Amino acid sequence: MLQLTNLTKTYPTPQGPLHVLDGVDLRLAAGESLALMGESGSGKSTLLHLAAGLDTPDRGDVVFEGQSVSALSEPRRAALRRQRLGLVFQQFHLVPSLSVADNLTLQARLAGRADTRWTQHLLARLGLAGLNDRYPEQLSGGQQQRLAIGRALAAKPRLLLADEPTGNLDEAAADQVLELLRELIEESGCALLMVTHSARVAAPLDRCVHLQRGRLAEAGP
Amino acid sequence: MTTNATHAGLLHTTWGTLSSHYRRHPGQLAMLLLGLWVASALWSGVQAINASARDSYARAESLFSAQLDSVVRRDNQPLSLDAYLTLRRAGMPVSPLVEGEMTIDDGTHLRVIGIDPLTLPGESSLARQQSDAAALRDWILPPHRARIAPEQVEAARDDSRLPPLETDPSLPPGTLITDIGVAQQLLGVDTLSRLVVAPGQSLDLPPSLVRQSAAALASPGQLTDSFHLNLTAMGLLALIVGLFIVHAALGLALEQRLGMLRTLRALGVPGRTLVIALALELLAIGLLGAVLGIVSGVGLARLLLPDVAASLDALYDTDVASHLALPWYYWLGGLAVTLGGLFSAGLGMLWRAARLDILALGKAQAWRARLHRQLRLQALAGAVLLAVAAWLGWRLGNRPNPQELALGFAMVAALLLGASLWLPPLLAGGLGQLSRQLRSRPRLQWALADLQLQLPRLQLPMMALLLALSANLGVGSMVGGFRLTFLDWLDQRLLADMYVRPTEAQHADVIAWLENRDEVRVILEARHAEAPRLDAEGQATGQPLALFGITPAAVMQRNWPLLETATGRMAAWQALSAGNGIFINEQLAHRDGLAPGDTLYLRGPQGPVTLAIVAVYPDYGNPSGEAVLSASYLAERFTASPGSLGVVLRPDATRDVADLQAALGERFGLSGDAAVDQRAVKRTATEVFERTFAITQALNVLTLAVAGLALLTTLLAQAGARRAQLAPLWALGVSRQQLIGLQFGQLVSAATGTALLAIPLGLGLAWALVAVINVAAFGWRLPLHIFPDQIAMTLLLAMLVAALAALLPTWRLWRVPPRQLLQEFSAA
Repeated sequence: MLQLTNLTKTYPTPQGPLHVLDGVDLRLAAGESLALMGESGSGKSTLLHLAAGLDTPDRGDVVFEGQSVSALSEPRRAALRRQRLGLVFQQFHLVPSLSVADNLTLQARLAGRADTRWTQHLLARLGLAGLNDRYPEQLSGGQQQRLAIGRALAAKPRLLLADEPTGNLDEAAADQVLELLRELIEESGCALLMVTHSARVAAPLDRCVHLQRGRLAEAGP
Repeated sequence: MTTNATHAGLLHTTWGTLSSHYRRHPGQLAMLLLGLWVASALWSGVQAINASARDSYARAESLFSAQLDSVVRRDNQPLSLDAYLTLRRAGMPVSPLVEGEMTIDDGTHLRVIGIDPLTLPGESSLARQQSDAAALRDWILPPHRARIAPEQVEAARDDSRLPPLETDPSLPPGTLITDIGVAQQLLGVDTLSRLVVAPGQSLDLPPSLVRQSAAALASPGQLTDSFHLNLTAMGLLALIVGLFIVHAALGLALEQRLGMLRTLRALGVPGRTLVIALALELLAIGLLGAVLGIVSGVGLARLLLPDVAASLDALYDTDVASHLALPWYYWLGGLAVTLGGLFSAGLGMLWRAARLDILALGKAQAWRARLHRQLRLQALAGAVLLAVAAWLGWRLGNRPNPQELALGFAMVAALLLGASLWLPPLLAGGLGQLSRQLRSRPRLQWALADLQLQLPRLQLPMMALLLALSANLGVGSMVGGFRLTFLDWLDQRLLADMYVRPTEAQHADVIAWLENRDEVRVILEARHAEAPRLDAEGQATGQPLALFGITPAAVMQRNWPLLETATGRMAAWQALSAGNGIFINEQLAHRDGLAPGDTLYLRGPQGPVTLAIVAVYPDYGNPSGEAVLSASYLAERFTASPGSLGVVLRPDATRDVADLQAALGERFGLSGDAAVDQRAVKRTATEVFERTFAITQALNVLTLAVAGLALLTTLLAQAGARRAQLAPLWALGVSRQQLIGLQFGQLVSAATGTALLAIPLGLGLAWALVAVINVAAFGWRLPLHIFPDQIAMTLLLAMLVAALAALLPTWRLWRVPPRQLLQEFSAA
C-alpha cells in the first residue's frame, strides 16, 4: 500500500546542512499497523510529513497505492490527503470555531463523502455523543484527541498517519485513546502508521521500526 | 460534472469553516465591517456632495446665459427698453434678458429669467429648443409657457401667478425661464437686466454700455474645484484611516486563523481553494460594507449638503441643489473604491495564505525576528517616502502652480505615509531603550516588554491615530492661521464704517451731502472697470483684467495691507496716487509671474496705458487676478463709472452708523444693500468663512473618532489573548488593579509617543497646506502660524482617545472572575 524508497531529506541550518532522513526504505501493507519509533530529532515526523505529501523528499520516492506521491502536483497531493489519508496530530489541531460535530465531519465534508450513520457511530464510539454542540475548548485533552481521531476516520481513509497521538495525554487517557484507535482501525480496515517514542504505545501494533539519525536502525516484530 | 460538484462542495465546506471564525468572534467581523463602513461612508458622502455640486455646475454652464456675452450699463443699473431698441435699430444683434428672484407660495426662491426667443442668439440651447414653430407660439402667446428645474416643479405647480410649467432637467436648480413679458410681470419690473449677444459678434456700443465676455467669467466648476479638492482630500484621509481598521482586522483574523488554515491544508484543501475561499469571504464582507457605507454616505451627504450649498453660494455665487442628484457612476464608483480598498488591505492576507507553510503547524512563532525584519522594511520604505516628500516640498515650496496641485497632494500623501511607516520602528526603538534603563523596576520593564509584544497588533491603529492627530493639528493650524490672517485682512480692507452705493445720477450729490456731515471724516470713493491686457508690443494677450479704483487717503495708506513693494510702502502709495503705479493682487502676481518693478500694459478707451507694478497686495478668497489704481486715475483713463463710497466716521462718531443710514435713506432713498454697515459686511464674511471650514473640521473630528474606534476595536479583539498574557502576571502576585493600571499606562504612553511624532508631522502638514496646496489651488499664500494650545490639545486628544479606547477592555478585565484568570493561567 505504502512504499518509501531511499527517502532523503536535508534542511539547511546556520551550522550547515542537517540530514534528517538518509536513504530510508519502508513498506506498509493494507490493513497493517506500524509504529515508527525514535528519539527526538531522529526524523520520525519528517518521514510522516513526506508520507502524507505535506513535504517532498530531496531524493527517493513515496508511492501510495501504486502512485508516486512525490511526483504529484500540490493540488493532487491535497486531493490524496483529502480522499485517502487520515491525519492525527499531537497538538490535535481542531478548528476552534467549529463545534464538535462540525469538526468531526470536516474532512469527510471536504472529501465530499460525509456519512451520517458512520459519523453517529463514531461519535458514540468516541464517547462524544451528546457533546455535538460544544466547542473544542470546552472539551478535556482526552476528548479533544478522540475528536481528532474521529475527524481522521470520518472520511474513511485508506491509511491513518498519526504523529504522537497520545503525547499530550496522561497515561490513563492515553491507554483509552489507543485502545479506541486500534478498535476503530480494525472496524474501518485502514492501515496505520504511528509515530511514537513510547515502547508501551508501540507494543500492541503489528510491527515496529526504529529511526536513528535519519536511518532505519532496527525492525521490530 | 462530478468534479465540478466536488470542487464546489470543497469550496463550500472551506468557506463555511473559514467563516465559522467570525461566528465565534463576531467582534472581529464587526470591527472589519465598521472600518469598511466608516471608510466607505465618509468617502461616499464626500463624493455624493461633489457629484451633486458638479451636476449643478454642469447645468449652470449649459445655460444659454452662461454661454453668451452680456451688454450692461457701466453703472450696473438696469437697461431701459429704449436702450435695447436703439441698439437693434443700429443693426446690432442683441437680445434682451430680464433676471430676478421671486418667492413662490411655499416660500421657495426662484431665479426667474425672461428671454425673447425671437432674438435670442441661435447658438444657445434654449434658442434651438424653441425653433419649433408650435413651441414658439405656445411660448410667446398667452397663457405662455415656463421651463423650470425639476427640483422646484412640484412646489411651483400650485402658484397661480406662473404660466403652465414644463420640466427641464438641464436647467440649474431653482431656475425658471419664461417669455420676457411674463418675467417682467412676475418680477414687477419694466426694465431689462442686460442684453446678450453671441460671442464673436462685433458691437459698436455707446460709452455708457460695456460688453462682458462670457469667456472672461470663470465657470463655477473652475471656481469651486479647489473647494471640492479639499473635500476629496479629507474624504480620502477618512478612507485611508478606515482601511487601516480593515487592515488591522484582517491581519488579526488571519493571525488567529493561521492554525485553521494550516489544518485545512493538512486535511487536503489545495492552496488555491483556500485563497479563493478567502477572496470570496472578502468579497462578501466588502459588498456588505460597501452597501452599508454608501447608504450611510448618502445620508451623511444629505445632512451636509444644505450647508455646503449655502457655503458655495456665499463663496462663489453658485447655485447648488440642496438635495442629492447622483449619477449611476457614483454608485459604481463607491462600490469600486470600497472593494478596491478592501482588496488592497486584504492583499497581504491572501498573499500570506497562498504562501502558507503547512509544516509550521504547531511551531512557535518567531515573532521577534519577524517583527524586527518588518520594522526594518517599514523604516526603509518610510525613509524613501519622506525623501520623496522632502524633494517635492523643496521643488513646490519655491513656486507652486495650479498644474502641480496633484504633485502637492502627492507630497502630502508621501509625508503622511512615510511618517506613519516610521511610527512603529520609532516606538519599538523607544520601548527597547526605556526597557534597558528600567531593569531595576521589573513591573515597568515587563510593561514595556509586553507593549513591544503588542506592537504588531497595535501598530496599525497607532498609525491611524498618528494620521488623524496630525491631520487635526495640520488642518487646525491652517484654519486657525487663515482665520487670524483673514480677520486681520478684513479689518484692514474694510476701513470705512459704512459703504454706500448710490446710482450714477445720485453720486455727486451723495458725496456733497456726506462731505457736509460733521460725523464724516473721509469719503473713500471706489470705481471699477475692465481693460484688455496687452503685451509690450501692444498686442492683445487675451482676457481683460478687472481694475478697481480706490482713494489713497491717509487712512487707506496706513491700513491697506501690502505683501511686496518695489521701493517701499511710501513710494508705492505715492506712485499709485500720482497715477503712474498700479497694485496687483497676489493671484495675478502668482498666475502671471509678475512682481513689483514689472510693467503692466493695458488698453484704455483713449489708447494703450503703461503702468509700473509698484506693489502686490493680499486678496484672500478671490479666485481672479485683479489690480488696483487710484479711483480718480481710473475714472480719467478708463472712463470707470462711479462705484461705492466708503464712509469713515470720526472716532467719536462710529456709533452713529444707524443714524447716518437712516438719514441717507430719508434723503436719497438709499437703504438695504445701498447703505451697509461695515460690521454687517464683516459678520457675513466671517460667517461664510466659518461655514466653509465647518465641513473640513467635521470630517477632521470624524477621522479622529475613526482612529479612536480603530484602537478600541483592536483592543477588544485581542482582549482574550491579552488576558492569557496577563494571567501569569496575576498568578505571580500582581493585583488586578495594578494590571489595569499597567494596561492603561501602556496604551496612554504609546498614544503619547504617537502624539509626539504627530506634532512635527502636523506642523509639516500645515506648512504643506499653506505654502504649497493653498498657493497651487487658490493662488495666494498664508503665513504659517503655530498655536501652542493646539499642540497641547493634540497631546491631550491622543491621551483621551487612548484612555477612552482602553476603558471598555480594562473594565472587562476588572470584571473577569479569578476562576477564569486561573483557567487562562493554566492554558497559558
